[in-house]
Amino acid sequence: MNPHAKLIFYMSLLLGTTITISSNHWMMAWTGLEINTLAIIPLISKSHHPRAIEAAIKYFLVQAAASALVLFSSTINAWHTGQWDITQLTHPTSCLLLTTAIAMKLGLVPFHFWFPEVLQGSTLTTALLLSTMMKFPPITILFLTSHSLNPTLLTAMAIASAGLGGWMGLNQTQIRKILAFSSISHLGWMTIIIIYSPKLTLLTFYLYSLMTATVFLSLDTIKVLKLSTMMTSWTKTPMLNATLMLALLSLAGLPPLTGFLPKWLIIQELTKQEMTAVATIIAMLSLLGLFFYLRLAYYSTITLPPNSTNHMKQWHTNKSTNPLLAILASLSISLLPLSPMILATI
Amino acid sequence: MALTVTLLSGAYVRGRCCRHQVLHPLLGPLFGNSVSKLYSSYRRPGSQPEKKPSWQNTDLSFKKSIDVLKTQLSMLKKETKDYLTGPGGHPLSQYLLEQTKVVWEFRSQEDLNKWVVSSDVEIGGKSEVYLTLGRNNQAALLYGTLNTEVPRDGETKYSGYCSMRAKPLVGSFARKKYYDWSNFNSLFLRVRGDGRPWMVNIYTDPYFSHQKDDLYNYFMFTRGGPYWEEIKIPFSKFFLSSRGRVQDDQHPIWLDKVSTLGFTIGDKVDGPFQLEIDFIGLLNDRAHTEEFAYEKYERNPRV
Repeated sequence: MNPHAKLIFYMSLLLGTTITISSNHWMMAWTGLEINTLAIIPLISKSHHPRAIEAAIKYFLVQAAASALVLFSSTINAWHTGQWDITQLTHPTSCLLLTTAIAMKLGLVPFHFWFPEVLQGSTLTTALLLSTMMKFPPITILFLTSHSLNPTLLTAMAIASAGLGGWMGLNQTQIRKILAFSSISHLGWMTIIIIYSPKLTLLTFYLYSLMTATVFLSLDTIKVLKLSTMMTSWTKTPMLNATLMLALLSLAGLPPLTGFLPKWLIIQELTKQEMTAVATIIAMLSLLGLFFYLRLAYYSTITLPPNSTNHMKQWHTNKSTNPLLAILASLSISLLPLSPMILATI
Repeated sequence: MALTVTLLSGAYVRGRCCRHQVLHPLLGPLFGNSVSKLYSSYRRPGSQPEKKPSWQNTDLSFKKSIDVLKTQLSMLKKETKDYLTGPGGHPLSQYLLEQTKVVWEFRSQEDLNKWVVSSDVEIGGKSEVYLTLGRNNQAALLYGTLNTEVPRDGETKYSGYCSMRAKPLVGSFARKKYYDWSNFNSLFLRVRGDGRPWMVNIYTDPYFSHQKDDLYNYFMFTRGGPYWEEIKIPFSKFFLSSRGRVQDDQHPIWLDKVSTLGFTIGDKVDGPFQLEIDFIGLLNDRAHTEEFAYEKYERNPRV
């Protein structure tokens, strides 16, 4: 792509995100969301492949509808209360519409259908942006309005997301779709705790972004898009293959790794709020995802495949690994001992 | 519906008479020389005459609907069991290790029912095509006669094609299902032809309608001999065409959502043709490392 165009799109993404997260007025929040949507469309459809175009169209339609709902809900609230402050969302219809709109923006169940296809149609770098940066403004809006939203609805969507993310990820063979379902599952965990402790939501989001960035950057280094290719990546980058596996297990929430930290804190907070049944259900549902990741780790790292690779893209260049990837990987695997510090601040 | 068509065709006739008057914006396509397919009532000679509309065909019997519901629920149960086993109903280890897979085999009439044959009779041509089981039910026999005589309807320039296409997979409750061939890199066909060249077409899932004519094609040249041939066509050789026209912007086929496979003969030679197909399978050829056989449209391709 033309470097000037690329610069404008990436700057627009930063601009849109910054506008939304620093806004007090609904108009500015909506503006930031729209700028983000419009800026990432060319990045998704850059390669002109039919599936990339399909992904861009699906992304645009869903996000435009969600932005319209955000605007509609803020307008109803302004009509009834006379003010446009984000934190003062009081009208019940507005709250319901906003919950729907944010669910569509994030990809929470039942508005998740676009997410795996959009991620599958985009390149790994764009998929990283879609999973991390594009989720940040809606989560900020959720953070600001969480005290006025319906807890039952949010809990129901969260449990459904955690369950569906695990269930649908079970038989996926395309890695981007696997990461899409892991994203949906993590969003479920983020949403379930937002009413009781919004700080935990943000902590979950930051740790999730860290782990997802590690996974996507590793996959980009070894140029792997499907399961069969990931199995034979040990021939070129054995260390990265092992680290990638640990990062995926961390995403799944296995105890000595970082990904366990948000899950533990969320279950603890839910238990404190007398929601033990919900905590048990969501912990059980995340076992589905864990099963899949463990099976993946077993087949791709613990048992070596009998064949050599015929995916020649991995062997084209001899670039050394990105140092950023090394930092992110170390953080996403070994951050659990930091939990006493985090417990002190929550 | 009928009233709208009558009104529009009436407007069309009036429009042709009074073209010098101001054009109504909504009736734009009715003016001018091109016959828009939406409004014309010309039926091509090979297509079926107007059938009963589907709303007259609905069967409201309760018992039949219960039976249909039971069938769909049992299909859903089977699909869930297959889902719990692994991708495609087999364990993940099988998915990761398999190098060959037979997708379509022709041993009985129900195998034949998974395929649809068509020819240029649809546009008014005179080719014939038939699909039966071969000797000892060991293969499918696709045979017929190609006739390149152009139908005289004033707008068709070429004719003479016959084709056989697999029906797309349908899951429970009429959901679309796709084949996931991403683990393989070649198509493996055991055929016995008569020397005529065929074209293999792969249709991938079009979500939006602008892609519905996109097809990935490659050629299959058959020998005429009495011996069976095993033809391997790597997926990297398939090129993109849309509505028969090869596209400029080529890209390799994505195999994770394949809908149907088809064979077409249209080599402009009048006469009989015959193709016996034993099975159609997939192969993960470990020695084949080519990613794409053609140049892509990128000015600065990423290595």
